[in-house]
Amino acid sequence: MRKNIKKYLAAFAALSLLLTACGGAKDAKSDSSADTTQAGETKTGSGTGEKVLKFGQANAGTGLDMQKSTSSGAASIADEVTESLLRFNDKNEEEVVLLTDFPKVSDDGLTYSFELKKGVKFTNGVELTTKDVQYTFERMFTPETGAKSTTYFDMIKGAKDMLAGSATSLSGFEAVDDYHFNIVLEQPFAPFVKNLGTSYADIFPAEATKAAGADWGIGTNLIGTGPYKILSNDDTTEVVLVKNEDYHGGNVNLDTLRVLYYDDAQTKLIAYENGDIDLSDLPASQLEQYEANHADEIKKYYPLGTTFISLNLKSEYISDVNVRKAISLAINREELVNTILAGAGIPATTFLNNKIPGHDDSLPVMEYNPEKAKKILADAGYNSGINLTAEVRDTDEAIFNAIQGYLEEVGIHLEVKKVDNATWNSDRAAGNVQMTGMQWNALYPDADFQMYNYFYSKNSNNRGVFYDNAEYDKLLDDARASTDEKQRAELYKQADHILTFEDYAAIPLYYPQSQFIAKPFVKDFTVGNLIYHFWNVDVDMK
Amino acid sequence: MKSYIIKRACLALGIIFCISLITFFVLNVIPGDVVAAMLGDFASKDAIEAARAQMGLDVSLPMQYINWLKNILTGNFGNSYFQRKAVLTLIVNAFKYTFTMAIAAYIVAIILGLLTGIFAALYHDKLPDRILMSISVFGISAPSFWIAIILQIVAGLRLGWFPVSGIKSGIWWVLPAFSLGIRSAATIARVTRTSMLEVLKQDFIRTAYAKGLSKRRIIFVHALRNALVPIITILGNDFGVLLTGSMITENVFNIPGIGKLLIDAINRRDIPLVQGGVIYVAGICVIIYFIVDILYAVINPNIRLGGEK
Repeated sequence: MRKNIKKYLAAFAALSLLLTACGGAKDAKSDSSADTTQAGETKTGSGTGEKVLKFGQANAGTGLDMQKSTSSGAASIADEVTESLLRFNDKNEEEVVLLTDFPKVSDDGLTYSFELKKGVKFTNGVELTTKDVQYTFERMFTPETGAKSTTYFDMIKGAKDMLAGSATSLSGFEAVDDYHFNIVLEQPFAPFVKNLGTSYADIFPAEATKAAGADWGIGTNLIGTGPYKILSNDDTTEVVLVKNEDYHGGNVNLDTLRVLYYDDAQTKLIAYENGDIDLSDLPASQLEQYEANHADEIKKYYPLGTTFISLNLKSEYISDVNVRKAISLAINREELVNTILAGAGIPATTFLNNKIPGHDDSLPVMEYNPEKAKKILADAGYNSGINLTAEVRDTDEAIFNAIQGYLEEVGIHLEVKKVDNATWNSDRAAGNVQMTGMQWNALYPDADFQMYNYFYSKNSNNRGVFYDNAEYDKLLDDARASTDEKQRAELYKQADHILTFEDYAAIPLYYPQSQFIAKPFVKDFTVGNLIYHFWNVDVDMK
Repeated sequence: MKSYIIKRACLALGIIFCISLITFFVLNVIPGDVVAAMLGDFASKDAIEAARAQMGLDVSLPMQYINWLKNILTGNFGNSYFQRKAVLTLIVNAFKYTFTMAIAAYIVAIILGLLTGIFAALYHDKLPDRILMSISVFGISAPSFWIAIILQIVAGLRLGWFPVSGIKSGIWWVLPAFSLGIRSAATIARVTRTSMLEVLKQDFIRTAYAKGLSKRRIIFVHALRNALVPIITILGNDFGVLLTGSMITENVFNIPGIGKLLIDAINRRDIPLVQGGVIYVAGICVIIYFIVDILYAVINPNIRLGGEK
């Protein structure tokens, strides 16, 4: 008996050592992990060559109703199911989706006339008509909806009345018949048609949306006209989308698109290595590591954004333009991008992103000249140095640690405080943040988004910046009212010059690079601007 | 016994009430405006104020707490600000994962811990004892995230024995169970060894041997039963900890359990979800400690509850 006990105990003791002691090369997969993958295929499928793509991304945790979410992660799923009247393709060009053509604009720039494509059906079999478009916009402006992006559309006549609760219908929406309608604006607004191409203007089926109530966008409660429909969605681990066989835009290559949620970047990439997912975004911090073994699988793209130091222009020292100019001159942007970002960015030449019309292509990288910075500070009377404070989020900490070093060289002592997102939001809104890091991405290539939403006087107050330059505001007002794109680009170029090189109201650092990693069998996949779209993607089954 | 149970139940309710009160006020005094975070970058100050009123956050803090308490008493824990789902639904869903993981880890911890501890005690001061106790020190010292990643890379990625992340069926739980259970197993092994050594020296064990009882019976029935009191304390504590979730293990293995749910909620200042979660955690701890106290009495009749004779 003693022998038996020994035998059992020895076996268990050995078991406790087993996993930490084992190693060696990967030999064969057990059945357990084989569930996950052969090139683009799952064994859980019929085994008949079904085309399945597994995409890994973090869970936005906001639901998929894009009137209530501003997350690009949520949009990457929602845009496969629901569509807006127009959309931006992966070359960032706008194209019609649910319309027969781009809307006609009246001479005064106030009335837009639309014609819907006939025979477009939602995946519940109901045909898309003007009523659905009208319902979508009225739902957006109904206060109880809690829509987050009304600012893109509140120039529609009557929108502000609805938002204030003084109207229950949108007076600027004129339904002509089932396929024709007009939208009337309060004042001319050139980027209006572009705003209609964003996920925030996705068109919902009126009856189904009403029936789902507050649950719209949760679980499988999302129906659209898009290339996919939701088969299952637990809101926590995975969303399974299947091909919309009746898609009005033609054949969809994939049979199934599985979106698997991975909040931890390292776990997501281990899942990629293991074949549990075929496609994933790749954080800059892991770029070097993956370039060594998977260089061919990494695809880079440049979103329409700028990373910059956002300043509180009313705060001590920062209110002096000389200090702001000295900060700009003290930073070596090329070194910053090459070291901290491992090359994943383009050193900034001005605030406006380099792919947006209005960007001055003749400009060199913003000057790095610490001696000049010191002289400017000395001439302004700051001989004994100055103390500044930056409040940053986790994502900006490394960049600001480097900036801290640059500023120290010119006599500016920067204290960097890292805070969580909620603290950062409220401190910034209250105007209590002297300096912080910000990446401001446009949804489409139009300067209005980057320049108006952040630096127009009334908007900059909400962001704790307090920039107030009447000339800058006037240029933006003119650009918004003009329908001449060349003229608009010129106006934005002038405004950008004032913002960046006269007022130094922001300190641009770089234009960010993003990247994703995809298995070799993933074909025809590109990303235009942050949101992943699977309209044309295919998997090679050979 | 009855009056003891009633007394403990009242105490438990009082503890939960105090915890909820403290959590509520702490969450509301730390920096971070939940409404601003919820509405995002484009919200105007007017929109933020309107949303604040709509969410009932425009009244005083004590009033907010009373309103919350009233709802709790009717079983309404409120809705998550961000996920737009009932807090209770979110907690119940996450609990399913955490509970399964806790049970799996617990099984690993008990089997490995008890057997290793007994084995070490039987070979007291000999080579197997020294090796096993050295390993147990390693088990206690090694951070759980490190164990999780090592298991993931070696047993999952390189050897391909187990899935590396996600949960679908039983085999998906093996690596999370080991990574979470190893630490508890090491603690249990050390306590079991010490406790068994104490018991094995006692006269009744000698008497049992003299009576010719089998060694298996002596060890597993007579000795182990008497050595169990300190072990049960550890088992109770560990189960409480396991049931309240492990953010790190859940994150590494991509398991949507309680730990992950609560950390995300705290980061977003999702106050109803944090409040609900804290009540859950407090409730679990109170219940577990209560059960442990009762078990003391069942296992060792020398211990009397509440001064009863």
